[in-house]
Amino acid sequence: MIASLLRSGVSRRTFLASAAAGAGALAGLLPRPLRAQDKTVKIGFLAPLTGPVAAWGKPGLDGCQIWAEWINAGGGINIGGEPHRVEFVAYDDEDDPAKARTGATQLIRENDVKFVMMLGGNSWPGVQPVAERTGMLFSTLLPSDLSPSTATLIAPAEVHPIYNVTAVDWLAANRPELKTAVICAQDDALGLPSVATYLAAFEAAGIEMLDEPLLFDPATTDFAPVVTRMLSKKPQIVCLDTCYSDYVHPICEQLFQQGFKGQILSCTLDFYDQVIAKTSAEFMEGTLFQFPDFDDPALNADFINFQKPNEFFAEYNRRHPGQWGAVSWEYASVMDLWKAAVEKAGSAEPDAVKAAMTEGGEGLHAFGKARWWGKDLFGIDNALVGNWPVVAIEGGKARIKEFRSIPDWYDKHGELMKKHMAAYNQMWDQRG
Amino acid sequence: MLDLFAQTGVNALYAAAYLSLVAVGLVLIFGVMGILNFAHGELFMIGGYVVVALYAGYQLPFAVVVAVALVFVGLVGLLMEWSMFRPLRDNPLGGLVASIGFLMILQALVSMQFGVRMAHVPPATQSVIELADGVRLPAQRAIVILAAIVLLGALWYFLKRTRFGWALRASAQDREAAALQGISINQTARIAMFIGAALAGVAGALTAPLVSVNPHMGHSVIVSVFIVIIVGGVGSLEGALVAAVVYAFLHTVITTFWDGVIADIAGLLLMLLVLIVRPTGFFGTKDRA
Repeated sequence: MIASLLRSGVSRRTFLASAAAGAGALAGLLPRPLRAQDKTVKIGFLAPLTGPVAAWGKPGLDGCQIWAEWINAGGGINIGGEPHRVEFVAYDDEDDPAKARTGATQLIRENDVKFVMMLGGNSWPGVQPVAERTGMLFSTLLPSDLSPSTATLIAPAEVHPIYNVTAVDWLAANRPELKTAVICAQDDALGLPSVATYLAAFEAAGIEMLDEPLLFDPATTDFAPVVTRMLSKKPQIVCLDTCYSDYVHPICEQLFQQGFKGQILSCTLDFYDQVIAKTSAEFMEGTLFQFPDFDDPALNADFINFQKPNEFFAEYNRRHPGQWGAVSWEYASVMDLWKAAVEKAGSAEPDAVKAAMTEGGEGLHAFGKARWWGKDLFGIDNALVGNWPVVAIEGGKARIKEFRSIPDWYDKHGELMKKHMAAYNQMWDQRG
Repeated sequence: MLDLFAQTGVNALYAAAYLSLVAVGLVLIFGVMGILNFAHGELFMIGGYVVVALYAGYQLPFAVVVAVALVFVGLVGLLMEWSMFRPLRDNPLGGLVASIGFLMILQALVSMQFGVRMAHVPPATQSVIELADGVRLPAQRAIVILAAIVLLGALWYFLKRTRFGWALRASAQDREAAALQGISINQTARIAMFIGAALAGVAGALTAPLVSVNPHMGHSVIVSVFIVIIVGGVGSLEGALVAAVVYAFLHTVITTFWDGVIADIAGLLLMLLVLIVRPTGFFGTKDRA
């Protein structure tokens, strides 16, 4: 091809000059890949990467690495007119407050991170003094960590456990014949606020609780007695609250083996293919939960604020086969918000970023427009709340049934939520 | 209501079965060697991971894999005896500390090889035995109960009816007197360690399809097992067996009729009560207490 061009009368010098000019023009049009000498902005990832809660930390870090590669390949983050490469610095807090405190201090002092993402919950009490002292911007997946004294803590991705109301609300609208329920949960910072939320949602939906919530120790390994107790009440709905996958799997297996035929409701259903393998597709059909697979066609709607969800899901599964879980996309979604705020503020400093992020009281959540909310429940408007998907198992695959509005539910039933949160000492002014 | 009591009994029987396998193994090691093996829960965990590797991974028959787990974890026990407990024979505290170190090594090795997340183990069988209306015994649980009865029966026969068993019991009663009678202390320690570890391994393997198999699964088991051996009497095999049954029934009944958290507290209260009323445990002797 080149030889024939030269033969046709184009000189070598002209050819090389044209090629160089063309390449230059093309480079100007394409996003500029970052070079080694470009500046770097570091983000702290402080979450459980080992231990029983690792399923809500490690997959999030894996998702963030894909996010960072895509952002860096697309030119990085523009901070005050200069492109910056994004780099994540991870610290395994093992869901332990003391380790989380050490990790937060190390990330801020030694790694000079500009933002720290956490799972939150059990680990947050250890980090809170560090946040107050340094003014660092932290994010949590669990807004039950929020209180008026946590000014630099935001919950921009998920509003656990408040979104659990959407599945109960959907169930009441679509399966009104289901009128009785029981619930079990591990007795910890994740389980208890979720219990209060489900109790409020069931009461709002007119679904009767047949028993007090059955709380079990997080060290429980044999769930047969828990399931026997729940099934002895002959419920139509068994709710698994926000149980970790280490509990959801054996509980579902026990429900199957002890002959349960009703509706299963759970906050998460990570690695649901394994649950189906332990039970059957027929048994799990119709099970409701809150976390979609990102190959879901419903996520291609215009209002979705997540870059290429289907491609993200495919890439994630290519790199980590069978590891997709509830949080695989969530920390990356937080980074989308943070990036937009940094570019708007022209600075990565925590104060400026938070001001840009919360300006006007509204923001773009992964599932569409949302508002900064929470004063009523958490004493501070630091949770970004909007729509949330209701997901069901259909033919062995997770599928979004509908997006439902959390603020709409709360506007109608907020007092119920506060009543049950207060009963479990989960209001911001009750938590120690 | 009757069906609820019956189902609770069935659940408790399963819990008693796997707890007694682990507890009897730990007591055997302590009785013969005088060392409290803190890594015993991790031997249970290794048994579970043998199933993950060979049954879930290579799809070998479940029964074969359980037999492999028994032998493999028994060999890990021999490694522990040779590398840690024998050099520290006259230093029980040193053996205990070394076993804590070994526990961490085993957890780290498994995490590196299999990852930190719960491993998936397909059920060996999904059959359920309908004992009565509303009383169901999953076949997988029935296998654990039967295996515990067979293995503990075989252990009883071994200890009471064979020369090696007599040697083991003699070493447990008085190591120096046994040695004076020509019994090899090294040999009895090896046998005790192999059997004790193998029992924990086989319990982990048998229960792997029923529990969450992860590198930290040994922790929750070992806490229950320590309660069992203190209640039963440190060093007493019969005590471990009886206490496993008592503890399993107490915990299961309280979880079913009250609360799982209260059940844990009740287990600890049982231990406290026994320590106050009878510090030697159900079947323990003063020199072991």
